[in-house]
Amino acid sequence: MKKFKGVQGIAASLLLVSVVTACGSNSSNGEAGGSSPSASEASGGSGSASASGKEVKITLLNSKGEIQTQLEDAVKAFHEDNPNITLEIQTVPAGGSPFERASTLYASGNPPTMIMLDTGDVEKFKDRILDLSGEKWMADTVPNATDLTTYDGKNYAFPLAIEGYGFIYNKAVLDQAVGGSFDPSAITTTTALENLFKQIEASGKKALVISPMDWSLGAHYLPLAYAGQSKDSAEVDKFVESLKAGTADLANNKVFNGLMDTFDVMMKYNLDQKDPLSGVYERGPEVLGKGEVGIWFMGNWAWPQISGFDTAGGQYGFLPVPISNNPDDYGNQEISSAVSKRIVLDKEKSSPEQQEAAKKFLNWIVYEQKGQDFLVNKANIIPAFKNITLPAADPLGKSIQDYIARGKSEPSMSLLPADHWSKVGASMQKYLAKQGDRASLAKEIEEYWKSVK
Amino acid sequence: MIAEKGAWNRLRTRLLFTGPTLLAFLTVMIVPFAYGIYLTFTNWDGIATTHTLVGWRNYGEVFRDRVFWKSFGLTLKYVLFSVVLINGIAFLLAYALTRGLRGQSVFRAGFFVPNLVGGIVLGFIWQFIFSKVLVYVGTKADIPILGASWLADPDKAFWSLVIVTVWQYAGYMMVIFIAGLMNVPGDILEAASIDGARGWTTLRKMILPLMVPSFIVTIFLSLQRCFMVYDVNLSLTKGGPFKSTEFVSMHVYEKAFLSRDYGVGQAEAFVLFLLVAAITLLQVYFSKKLEVEA
Repeated sequence: MKKFKGVQGIAASLLLVSVVTACGSNSSNGEAGGSSPSASEASGGSGSASASGKEVKITLLNSKGEIQTQLEDAVKAFHEDNPNITLEIQTVPAGGSPFERASTLYASGNPPTMIMLDTGDVEKFKDRILDLSGEKWMADTVPNATDLTTYDGKNYAFPLAIEGYGFIYNKAVLDQAVGGSFDPSAITTTTALENLFKQIEASGKKALVISPMDWSLGAHYLPLAYAGQSKDSAEVDKFVESLKAGTADLANNKVFNGLMDTFDVMMKYNLDQKDPLSGVYERGPEVLGKGEVGIWFMGNWAWPQISGFDTAGGQYGFLPVPISNNPDDYGNQEISSAVSKRIVLDKEKSSPEQQEAAKKFLNWIVYEQKGQDFLVNKANIIPAFKNITLPAADPLGKSIQDYIARGKSEPSMSLLPADHWSKVGASMQKYLAKQGDRASLAKEIEEYWKSVK
Repeated sequence: MIAEKGAWNRLRTRLLFTGPTLLAFLTVMIVPFAYGIYLTFTNWDGIATTHTLVGWRNYGEVFRDRVFWKSFGLTLKYVLFSVVLINGIAFLLAYALTRGLRGQSVFRAGFFVPNLVGGIVLGFIWQFIFSKVLVYVGTKADIPILGASWLADPDKAFWSLVIVTVWQYAGYMMVIFIAGLMNVPGDILEAASIDGARGWTTLRKMILPLMVPSFIVTIFLSLQRCFMVYDVNLSLTKGGPFKSTEFVSMHVYEKAFLSRDYGVGQAEAFVLFLLVAAITLLQVYFSKKLEVEA
């Protein structure tokens, strides 16, 4: 009997506790599901705030770690112009993806007002973010800047930065190698590139360093094979579709083979040939900046790191990655670039006042002199807006801008599946370490695409 | 007296003491666990506002996911070597450090310290050692096996993980063994030595059987920790080179958050839970049978 009572007691307490927790989860569900109670709550809150001078507090989740301090300075400048708006910058922890962080914040019911996302992630958040089609800056974007974030005719994201990648060269090293002033426009074929590598080696330096990170190989290098298929983006889409359907024959694809021929040449002259997978990102800017190598495959975001080691007096630029020996083939003169970071505005938990304040911040970046100065001069970003005429502040950004201005730009693959860089990057690493041949690489990539849903 | 109090009073006392823990346990363990199981039957991608029920399809997907079973096999291999080495080395350390060595408490503290360092930091420290320090020593002293980074070779990267894990946990298990060794009654050892038992015989016939309870605890702990390893795996090799050292926890995480296949990832996590629970329970059940009374 006594024992029975004990069980009863435990059961009763369990019941009580479960009732308590059920209440807890109910109320949170209510908040997440119906936006009306939270909205009324929020507007009530701002109503009382309006009495004390319309203070609005908004947040921005920054996923471009390299501009954190610049962004914080910009926030101070913005606050001076708009004293009633307080903007707070949150960060994505190192190594985490913006998508992960943003989805966690949404799951906890505490999303930031503005989120900086990669292009491919925007669509997932479509139901939770604000339609920005009516904004003033829509009329001033560079062509096609918002195409990829437009669904059903509505644009959901603010294009923050254009980024491009290719072979970064150190002009001091290359000048010495060619004996005179190096002309980047001469390198448009794989053979010309190999000759350049030979010339650099002859001058006593190493030709290039391949950074073996999966994201560099999987998200930047290999996608050149997709993007280089055709100048016509519809053809590129068709090629990706055929990969998904399993009908594409990568092993006999001209662009893929051309790109991998170039990769073979790169491997042959790689500084880290003996131990190709041991390199880390930080090694690239160091050896390039110090002039130990002439060339590094990377993008313009690497400038802050390169400038720390710069010995070439700030003389750097981009070379395209050649995919054949015909200089006129698409991709041999073009640099891959695209809008890579987008800011979206939350509509689920943010009050109308907060949304307005966030929109104001975006306009401030595009139209105010201080905002433009932050974007171009402080953060070294290539803006995606026609009205910003400030020239890029760093040599890499300048080089990309120059290619774009001459129409020599190839749109980067921005909508690859989320795990593409990791899976295909691993296959590329295997190839780089000579643990697999080209046929098996092609097969692994085809297998990956077939598994994509 | 106590029996005379009403049911409410007794319930109140119980809730006072167990309530907070129960509440925490329910809210952070049981509810998410149940919700997680529910999610295995959906096609949720981690962010969408809606999801649909898909029945058992995710579980079918788990059994078709060859990479999952491959990394599970790799994890088994890792667990086997790690558990054997952790417990072997920990026991030897504990045995050596209960012999009355000069300064043995300093050594005990020293061996325990790695366990106080978090897995992520530890991984980064060893990453530096494996890819920089050892390579430097190897090239300077011309030792071929250290000439290239261990982390860039699939087999050596695997052994690097085992080494770091053993280094991390051996000190912790050593402490448990030391406690066990101290509790071996002195009188039976004395009796044994009067009967003429020497060191090895004493160890094998007297000490080891009496240490079985300690072994149950240490093997259980090391099994469970090695199966669930993620932090060292992430910071030391990131699953590389080319995904050759991706253990099963990491695969599950990537499935759910990188491939954004939350349902399948969650189903894999649940299958992993069942497998690990089965293995550890079997281990406890069988080793319990080895226990003896002094």
